[in-house]
Amino acid sequence: MRGGANPIELRGVGYAYGTGDLARPVLRDVDLTVGPGEIVLLTGPSGSGKTTLLTLIGALRAVQTGSASVLGLQLAGATERQRVELRRRIGFIFQQHNLLGFLTARQNVAMALELDPATSEKERMARAGAMLEAVGIGDRADAPPAKLSGGQRQRVAVARALVGRPGLILADEPTAALDKQSGGEVVRLLRDLAKRQGVPILLVTHDPRILDIADRVVSMEDGRITAAEAGAAAE
Amino acid sequence: MNVLTRTPSAPPPDGELLPWAPERTGGAPPQPPPSGREGPARRTTSFRPLRSLLLPLRLAWRQLRAEKARLASAIAGVMFACVLVFMQLGFRSALFDSATALLQSMRADVFLMHPLTTASFKPETFPRARASQALALPEVQAAVPVYLAQASWRNPENGARRAVQLIGFDTEAGVMDFPGLAPLVDALKRPDAVAFDRRSRPEFGDVAKLLAERGPFEAQIGNRLMEVVGLVEIGPSFGADGNVVLSEVNFRRLVKERQVSAIDLAAIKLRPGADVEAAKRRLAELLPRDVIVLSQPELVAWERRYWEEATPIGFIFAFGSLMGLVVGMVIVYQILFSDIASHLREYATLKAMGYSNWYLGRAVLSAALILAVLGFLPGFGLSFFLYGAVGEATFLPLNMDLERGVGVFLMIFAMCALAGLLAMRKLRDANPADMF
Repeated sequence: MRGGANPIELRGVGYAYGTGDLARPVLRDVDLTVGPGEIVLLTGPSGSGKTTLLTLIGALRAVQTGSASVLGLQLAGATERQRVELRRRIGFIFQQHNLLGFLTARQNVAMALELDPATSEKERMARAGAMLEAVGIGDRADAPPAKLSGGQRQRVAVARALVGRPGLILADEPTAALDKQSGGEVVRLLRDLAKRQGVPILLVTHDPRILDIADRVVSMEDGRITAAEAGAAAE
Repeated sequence: MNVLTRTPSAPPPDGELLPWAPERTGGAPPQPPPSGREGPARRTTSFRPLRSLLLPLRLAWRQLRAEKARLASAIAGVMFACVLVFMQLGFRSALFDSATALLQSMRADVFLMHPLTTASFKPETFPRARASQALALPEVQAAVPVYLAQASWRNPENGARRAVQLIGFDTEAGVMDFPGLAPLVDALKRPDAVAFDRRSRPEFGDVAKLLAERGPFEAQIGNRLMEVVGLVEIGPSFGADGNVVLSEVNFRRLVKERQVSAIDLAAIKLRPGADVEAAKRRLAELLPRDVIVLSQPELVAWERRYWEEATPIGFIFAFGSLMGLVVGMVIVYQILFSDIASHLREYATLKAMGYSNWYLGRAVLSAALILAVLGFLPGFGLSFFLYGAVGEATFLPLNMDLERGVGVFLMIFAMCALAGLLAMRKLRDANPADMF
């Protein structure tokens, strides 16, 4: 019933927007495997389907055709409840930080732990604080997002994605809203922390400056995976 | 590679295996299919009602607190609805109470009344003989005919005339007991002596002050000079702004055109220990159909029904209360809706992190209920103050009682909950798949 040991195993995944004659396929017969602890970058022109692929893996959309096993859950035919459960084991990082403006950085990070009934408030705050230390902004833990710089906010978002010790990190252009330097710092931080925790990362990006963090770079075009090459980090 | 242990029940025996597949370590006991599908044991949610209510509540409170101006306007909206409902309900019950003030202060066990009488200020008369016939029953101790009429009272201070309600009956019989009447019984025996209602509206003149200064004094009622000898307590009603109590004989002197044989009410006192319901039934069997037999509460209810059903008063106040609740609901809905709309990205992010629609729904409902409480408390305080101030200015008996307080709170609570449920629909727009 469960997939293999690989965190992500896609076989023949297809996806189309619209139905009937108006159906517009965006993914065709995609096979993709991400191994334990592997950092995979997904690149390609816009409209190539990479973001749709990311939302399918993140259980944010229902799989239409093919088989998709993520963290041991077969997503084809999974219920909404199972998908919500799965999302709790995935760390998401978006283009925008999407932090809650009325919470401090620490409280934002702790939100990722509040769904876990096994944690106490004290434990959540301590873990959130420690994770903010790890991303290098421990001293700003009690500031609201409005008082942080763009790079700092994205670091909080990284901390929020990692604090729940997820089985997988999905990131969508995390550097898009950042300048070159802070963008590079944030993804390297993400890579280092993920490596330390052994968490695989699937990262969609246009940004050629960050290709060097990948174990493997996968290119997509027109809904298909066109090329997979070993990244700079895998040498 | 550093592997973090995520399942206490299934530690990976070696570093090769990753924590999201504990059953593959071989060390983990075979898990039942449902939890096996959902992943490691620490993710299975145990049912903790308190926690699953408190955390959304805290989230809602933090969000409300962050926008002080929005919070203040929401509280003001709820408070407005609260005060409006309190005032409408207060006026409604005050008017009904005051409408029946005269009958409520008539203390007797059983009353006879003409079935066509709809309100005490325009009674149908019935034969005086019915009061005597009632005495045929052994449990009836006394039956007193009551005459009601209106006459003009000339204000002893400035001469202005105003209609006053006259209540004439045998004050000696001790059947009808108005508050304050007992010590005046002897004085009322004198020719042309009357007792004045101290709670009458001030347009009748400050009779209490005059009485205190001069002792019994003369006042013109109808075309006759009567002597005010004391004060009783009845209260103004819809039909009459003031009341005058006098003996049957004095009533006849004052209202000459009234036939003695035609009375408006008969007040009956039963022997101690008699069963009111049984006596009522036997009286109804005994007496002709031109009278109905009512207990005192029934008499009050009869009059009240007239004001509730034959006049638009009840509807007006119910409508006013409803409008207040609708306005309050719209305000709360607007606030909650715009709160969600301006945080759609954040809500979608929370959904992507695994927060369910229902969890966020609980946060929205919590926000609604916080607003209900925060708006009700000052609304209650303001209404309490207004009851005092308005009651003093209008002579209406506005009283805050526990029942009404609880009732209005429940209404406000329901109003906010409904607004929250409506606003929750907006959460569906927070679609995490659109976040990328």
